[in-house]
Amino acid sequence: MIHVEGLSKSFDDLRRGSIVALDSVSFDVQAGEIFGLLGPNGAGKTTCLRMLSTVLQPTGGTAIVAGYNVATHPQDVRGQIGFMSCNTGIYDRMTAWEMVEYFGRLYGIEEQELQERLDRIFTTLQMQDIRDMLGSKMSTGMKQKVSIARTIIHDPPVLIFDEPTTGLDVLVARAVLKTIEALREEGKCIIFSTHIMREVEKLCDRVAVIYKGKILAIGSIPELEEQYHESDMEELFFSLIQQHEDQLAMKAQ
Amino acid sequence: MIQWKNIKLILMRELRDQMRDRRTLFMVAVLPLLLYPAMGIGMVQMTVLFSEQPRTVVLLGADELPKQPQLLDGDQFVSNWFTIPSDADKLRVITDSQPENTDSESTDTETNSEREEILKQAHQLELELKQHQSLLDEWDKLKGKEDSSEAELLLHEITETKERLSKQFAESKIQVLIIIPKGLSKELEQVSAKLALHEPIDFDPAVSSRPLILRNRADEKSKLAFIRVQEAMDAWEKAILRARLNRARLPVSLPTPINPEVIDLAQDDQLAANLWSKLFPALLIIMAATGAFYPAIDLGAGEKERGTMETLLISPAKRTEIVLGKFLTVLVFSVSTALLNLASMGFTGKHMVNVAGTGALSRMGDLSFPSFSALFWIVVLLIPLAALFSALCLSLATFARSSKEGQYYLTPLLMVTIGLTVFCLSPAVEINPFYSLMPVVGVALLLKGMLLSTVNAGILYVYAIPVLITSIGYSLLALWWAIDQFQREDVLFREAERFEVGLWLKHLMRTKDSLPSFAEAGFCFVIIMLLQFAVMNTMRDAIQMATTAERPTRMMQLLMIQQLAIIATPALMMGIMLTTSMRKTFRLYLPRFSFWIVATILAFALHPLSQELVSSLRWFFPALPKGTVAVLQDMSDPNQSIWLILLAFALAPAVCEELAFRGFILSGFGRRGRAWLAIILSSLTFGAMHMIPQQVFNATLVGLALGMIAVHSRSLFPGIAFHFIYNALSIYRGRVPEKWVPEHGLQYFVSMGPEGLRYSWPLLLICAVLAIALLRWVTLQSRTAPGEQTESLTLSAFDRRLTDSTN
Repeated sequence: MIHVEGLSKSFDDLRRGSIVALDSVSFDVQAGEIFGLLGPNGAGKTTCLRMLSTVLQPTGGTAIVAGYNVATHPQDVRGQIGFMSCNTGIYDRMTAWEMVEYFGRLYGIEEQELQERLDRIFTTLQMQDIRDMLGSKMSTGMKQKVSIARTIIHDPPVLIFDEPTTGLDVLVARAVLKTIEALREEGKCIIFSTHIMREVEKLCDRVAVIYKGKILAIGSIPELEEQYHESDMEELFFSLIQQHEDQLAMKAQ
Repeated sequence: MIQWKNIKLILMRELRDQMRDRRTLFMVAVLPLLLYPAMGIGMVQMTVLFSEQPRTVVLLGADELPKQPQLLDGDQFVSNWFTIPSDADKLRVITDSQPENTDSESTDTETNSEREEILKQAHQLELELKQHQSLLDEWDKLKGKEDSSEAELLLHEITETKERLSKQFAESKIQVLIIIPKGLSKELEQVSAKLALHEPIDFDPAVSSRPLILRNRADEKSKLAFIRVQEAMDAWEKAILRARLNRARLPVSLPTPINPEVIDLAQDDQLAANLWSKLFPALLIIMAATGAFYPAIDLGAGEKERGTMETLLISPAKRTEIVLGKFLTVLVFSVSTALLNLASMGFTGKHMVNVAGTGALSRMGDLSFPSFSALFWIVVLLIPLAALFSALCLSLATFARSSKEGQYYLTPLLMVTIGLTVFCLSPAVEINPFYSLMPVVGVALLLKGMLLSTVNAGILYVYAIPVLITSIGYSLLALWWAIDQFQREDVLFREAERFEVGLWLKHLMRTKDSLPSFAEAGFCFVIIMLLQFAVMNTMRDAIQMATTAERPTRMMQLLMIQQLAIIATPALMMGIMLTTSMRKTFRLYLPRFSFWIVATILAFALHPLSQELVSSLRWFFPALPKGTVAVLQDMSDPNQSIWLILLAFALAPAVCEELAFRGFILSGFGRRGRAWLAIILSSLTFGAMHMIPQQVFNATLVGLALGMIAVHSRSLFPGIAFHFIYNALSIYRGRVPEKWVPEHGLQYFVSMGPEGLRYSWPLLLICAVLAIALLRWVTLQSRTAPGEQTESLTLSAFDRRLTDSTN
């Protein structure tokens, strides 16, 4: 469903000059699978996912999402994905229902079908009691629910979650993860980024460790553990990063 | 394809969103509905409560005033002497004559002591004044010996006494001091008696005894008091004259032998129109800008700030649809704010006049509303105007990172708008072809004209077409800019980073490329314009300082210095500092030989065409400034050395302007890869640099050809050749002797007009065909050119967009 090959992105930065945020990244994600992007802040996860969601333009490489190239057919890609991140806020002066309905209409869903689907989603996500609440009055957890509803309203085959649990309390975070798990059962292709090891261990079928714009390792958790002879995911992660830093230091010399 | 369904969805959402925002609602609807009635009530209150403090006038020598006609009545002027009799109350007159009715003295001891004090000050002033005048008399006697040390001393004393006098006057409580000379009434009587008997009057009464009036023009109170004193004294003087003429049995109209009669044909509705024509356009424009201001910030920067921008960007709506939806929302608010304000102000004004009745307001005339057709035009013109403001505000607000930053960007826009509006308010400024093409100004002046003249509005409708077309053009340009802003990730995802000048400069140096950036090219143009503006006065002074004989030479020297210092130097300096390849930036490559020939022939072909085009558009442009006419005359002055003129007017501009405009600026604008846009922008900047409308027009057109040559030949040199020949032809055209008669077949191509050599149709036709063919040849060249690796300005790169490219 998602095919990424040699994807790169560089920015101009006032302080550091031209910086490479993502350096030739390649991976594939299948339907019915949760693919984790694991990396510290600033590793390039958000940049990568923003390119997959066509908000940013790649400066190199290709990315095919649900059969469409993000660079040449951004419109079609956007119709096939649901994207949620800590940056995709909800409108303050709209109720939960209006908000999800609005995006449903933007996706061009038939009115009758839209109402049915809205009702179903609001029931499954237990949001019926906040239907008519304005965005500004909601708690963080409620907002996150509305965001999820917004992400899945058009029943997209591909879902992209960029650190969806950031800033949530344990209960809400757990509910979000449960929802994502349920979406996998529906056969969705899910890509999920986080810096929290436990979420990866619990949720992901396969994972890519990303650091300073590069993928350091990729594979299912047992594969990685076997490959690097390390049973603890956290230890594995740190040793990979340490290894990369050593290499960089070597090169610098 | 743009889906209107999405635009409508976004528009409806944004409208609902704004309606739920109390701030916007307040600004758009509540404020205009409350503001004007509140202001109206305030004004009525003020006029009721307002009373002017009486000003103090001291009159010394009251006993010398003639008894008939009477000037003073107690401590006031006689109210008959004022057009509005109640004005007499606004001046309190203190005289040195003994008060007749002493019964009030006991009650007003305080006023009395104040009176004494003021009188004392007046007497002191009188003494000082006498001294000053005696010094002045002495000065008059010194005539012819102004250079002596004695005179210098006297002059010093005079200035000193004057200073002292003015200081004393300022410190006193007196606003106007009148000193009546001794024997005034006696003398008046004497002259009148003599006149009555038709006896000769053997002295000039005006010289022997003139009253003196002291005032201070810089002091507002004194100024007001003096205007009233003057009014009373004038009327009084006329009365004396009338009495004198009567006594001599002469007609009263004797001093006014012509006395024309003035008939005012103004009708009430015209007086009202006068008021509306000033208020409505100004209010309309300012309110259209203000109405766009707040929603635009909320829809642009606000969306970024609240973190919903990305949510919207990942929806299937295209960027263009999003911008259009937002733009229409801002437009709705801009239009409704302007109209609500107008309606509220109109009704309040009308109601207030009815309430105030006979007050000062009634003098404005009956405030009947503008005609239906005028109101219709207000709405028709408002829409493109509001569209311009909406699109501008939206793009600036999109560029901003936060609402606060948005306000910083938009405030200058508002200031410029207010400046333009104030300019249009001036009664001397009327719509003409030139103004009709300017943004905002065209609309303002057209509306002003339409509201003003109900009778001969016919001519104005002719202007409606260019005003509408250009307004729509400007708003489309602004909208295109807004869409462009929305396509750029560096604008949409700008992080709030700390800005330091040093860091930024370092960044500029570090990231410098073989070619300058778009912004750097724009900045180069701004620097050239600013420098030009800065040296304008210096240049003029230097030229005026020179004697008439050496003026042309001096001017040409200055012109060359200006070209080098102001146009070439900034471009070259920026080239050195900001790019890595001077050669690439300034296109210092040898072109193919054919380009030399084409550029040369093209210069010969385009010169007559542009010359005749400007001549035929003479009616459109404002008259040339005097200075430019003088320059043109010097250029065609046969006594001047042709070599110097060629150097100053042809070679220097050819090299310097090409370096700046076809070198640095064109390279920078072309960096993004849109060759046509770069050529158009560089020719627009090239035109703008010429300042004078005729030359701006001409230079912009020539700039297009120059840009095409530079881009397609990939060299600066053919352009320099073209520019030199083009300017040289203009010089030679001016130097054709007036009495020259074309013959030997030449008469079919050229003729001599009063403004010099004119080119006839056959020649123009040949030139046009030639020019089109050559320009076509030029544009075809880069496709057949060998595959040289230039990273910019190839035609295939034209129109390439990053996002939404396939839609």
